[in-house]
Amino acid sequence: MTYLKKLAAAGLALAVTAGAVSAQELYTPNLSYRTGPFAATGIPLMNGQRDYMLMLNARDGGIGGVPVNFEECETGYSTEKGVECYERTKGNAIVTQPWSTGITLQVLPKTNVDEIPILAPGYGFSPMADGKVFQWAFNMPLGYWDGASMILNELGGGSPAGLAGKKIAFLHLDHPFGKEPLPLLEAMAAEHGFELVPIPVGLSEMQNQSAQWLQIRRERPDYVIMWGWGAMNAGAITEAVKTRYPMDQFVGVWWSGHDADLRQVGMDGKGYRSISWSMPQPDGGLMADVRQHVIDPGASMASEEEINGVFYQRGLVMSMILAEGIRAAQAEFGTAEIDATQLRWGLEHINLTAERLEELGATGMVAPFSTSCANHTGHAGGWMLQWDGEKFVQASDHLTPDLSVINPLIESAAAEYAAANAPWPVNEACEG
Amino acid sequence: MLYRVAGQFKTSYRADQALFPVKQDAWLLMVILVFAWVILPWTASEFVFQTLLIPVLIYALAATGLNILTGYAGQLSLGTGAFMGVGAYACYKLITIFPEMNLFIAVLLSGTFSAMIGVAFGLPSLRIKGFYLAIATLAAQFFLVWLFEKWPWLYNYNASGAIQVPNVDIFGLHVAGPLADSMTQYYFILIVVTLLTVMVINLTRGNQGRIWKATRDMDIAAELIGINLMRSKLLAFAVSSYIVGVAGALFVFLWRGAAEPNLFDIELSFRVLFIAIIGGLGSVLGNWLGAILLVALPVLLNTVPELLGLSIKSATVEHINIMVVGGLIIFFLIVEPHGLAQLWRLIREKLIIWPFPH
Repeated sequence: MTYLKKLAAAGLALAVTAGAVSAQELYTPNLSYRTGPFAATGIPLMNGQRDYMLMLNARDGGIGGVPVNFEECETGYSTEKGVECYERTKGNAIVTQPWSTGITLQVLPKTNVDEIPILAPGYGFSPMADGKVFQWAFNMPLGYWDGASMILNELGGGSPAGLAGKKIAFLHLDHPFGKEPLPLLEAMAAEHGFELVPIPVGLSEMQNQSAQWLQIRRERPDYVIMWGWGAMNAGAITEAVKTRYPMDQFVGVWWSGHDADLRQVGMDGKGYRSISWSMPQPDGGLMADVRQHVIDPGASMASEEEINGVFYQRGLVMSMILAEGIRAAQAEFGTAEIDATQLRWGLEHINLTAERLEELGATGMVAPFSTSCANHTGHAGGWMLQWDGEKFVQASDHLTPDLSVINPLIESAAAEYAAANAPWPVNEACEG
Repeated sequence: MLYRVAGQFKTSYRADQALFPVKQDAWLLMVILVFAWVILPWTASEFVFQTLLIPVLIYALAATGLNILTGYAGQLSLGTGAFMGVGAYACYKLITIFPEMNLFIAVLLSGTFSAMIGVAFGLPSLRIKGFYLAIATLAAQFFLVWLFEKWPWLYNYNASGAIQVPNVDIFGLHVAGPLADSMTQYYFILIVVTLLTVMVINLTRGNQGRIWKATRDMDIAAELIGINLMRSKLLAFAVSSYIVGVAGALFVFLWRGAAEPNLFDIELSFRVLFIAIIGGLGSVLGNWLGAILLVALPVLLNTVPELLGLSIKSATVEHINIMVVGGLIIFFLIVEPHGLAQLWRLIREKLIIWPFPH
């Protein structure tokens, strides 16, 4: 047990070093996962996020003249490491980017106490949209319920009413992330009279889904909606090809639209669609800047192949949203070195209009949206991306979620969360 | 010199059988206890609490539970993670059904649920042994995790299928949930862990411990000298699962704050088993050494490049870390196949005769 003494010495050393704050910078750590089972999907996203911030540092000297320290803390998608990273970075960080639903769930209740905003663009917990209850959590531009609603709208030909009498299989990861859209889908199925068949895929069966696809063959659903992540996507797509399920009736969430998964099946995957809130614009102005300042000098870790992919470009958009939040806070508080509380204000006042996107060189990469104190998601809407055998292309006009159905669900789920975690501070001051 | 035993005379059987017949051991323990109870908690930062002290305590407790079954009674189990889950879910249900219940009582009660389940899954041990029994406990592992996913009542029909720890207070002091202070949580865990460790030390040194060891060493011989194997094995399963269940309740309530079913997957079972094996089977001290090596060391190693002022990418640090810890495990097992506890025993023996070895 003498190890405990060494432990204590190391602990003291840590406590001393943790207190040392470096000079002027905006510390926005990212809890990355470049190792572990989900690394293949994580790497392009992390590279995109990182490269955008590196581009800002190289081109403008940071944001408002203060360089951004976009340090990564490796979690390997493990919640245990995630908490370690959160504890390590929270001292100086102005934002935390948890990256996994498990880590988000664990960090979420702590944010009220630690007062650090959680930025989970397009993932996390759908009820986080309610800014009154989740004062420190943000999941703009879209939550999972928005995504599910948009898919139903598109499949129903503009409205879910068009799905009456149809049968929809919901193939999902048996995990908090995969179960997210179930309440919305069930409500919609009851309202519009289509049959919903939830088919869970356990974490251990991700790569071998023959049982699930046998069920799909037996049930003969009109559509298959997939909420998959990591190895599950590739598994499902190859099984769909093997069982000759018509690809144009198979739709995934935005995390199921990874180029590398589809490249494995190539032309056989033609017609597969994925709803998305971001779209690659490899020839846009933003990409030109990233190329000039980051990729050409060799500072990027991304390969040429992944740069034009959906995930890398989505990573760029994520960092762009964060940078917009920082800018908004800097303008409001008149200081370049903002703290976590000020950034929260900034993230609540993002206003990405079409003109602003044009200025950023990001037209078409994400739909215009704005956030507010009460609305932490923005419900930007998005597009259907379709695999044409080589890459994802836009396959729909701008789609929007059906907020009249989602908002009551968000409100009740948020209230339930607050009640289960009482005493939970609710910000009643927000309007709109 | 440091460990001079000359002059420490034992004049009664009682003194000879004391827990620490050598004075230096008792002093060493006192120093460690002072560190654990006073110095560490008052100097530790939030980071040290959440990533070093609390996890080491909880993992050491879980390994202690497993060690009773595997190290003392000789029944290999691969279901530790699931039994921890039973404790965690039981505690969650107790706290949500009876919000007024004192968390101490809830945590200690939740162990009884996992003890019952442990006994049920221990029944095959009466017929099968060794690796075959390991497979049977593996069935418990998969079945229970499946149950945590498929039985919505367990997680109160939460949409995401995860359990979230509510704010729990004892006499106005928050001990669990987001409002709880790390130091309070540390002391809460320390009290429970100390209590159970003292119980285990006494249990394994006494009659029951000898019965378990006899069962482990040769069950036919044990039966011939009149040991009831069924009782011995099932009691080992019960006590082991009880401690593991309490560790699981602490794991979620006092540390993680939220848990999804796959947290209790086979990786957790293996982790606890490795702690017990590398620490030393059949030893209480070993669980602590193993937990420090497997839980605390990787966290400390992660901070080394930063302390040295090297800028290495986080992912690279993680890769190096895995290699270093893996190398250390192999090194320790080659140097001492019986685990770190045995290594300490040898060092201590050498210290006693140092500096004049025979």
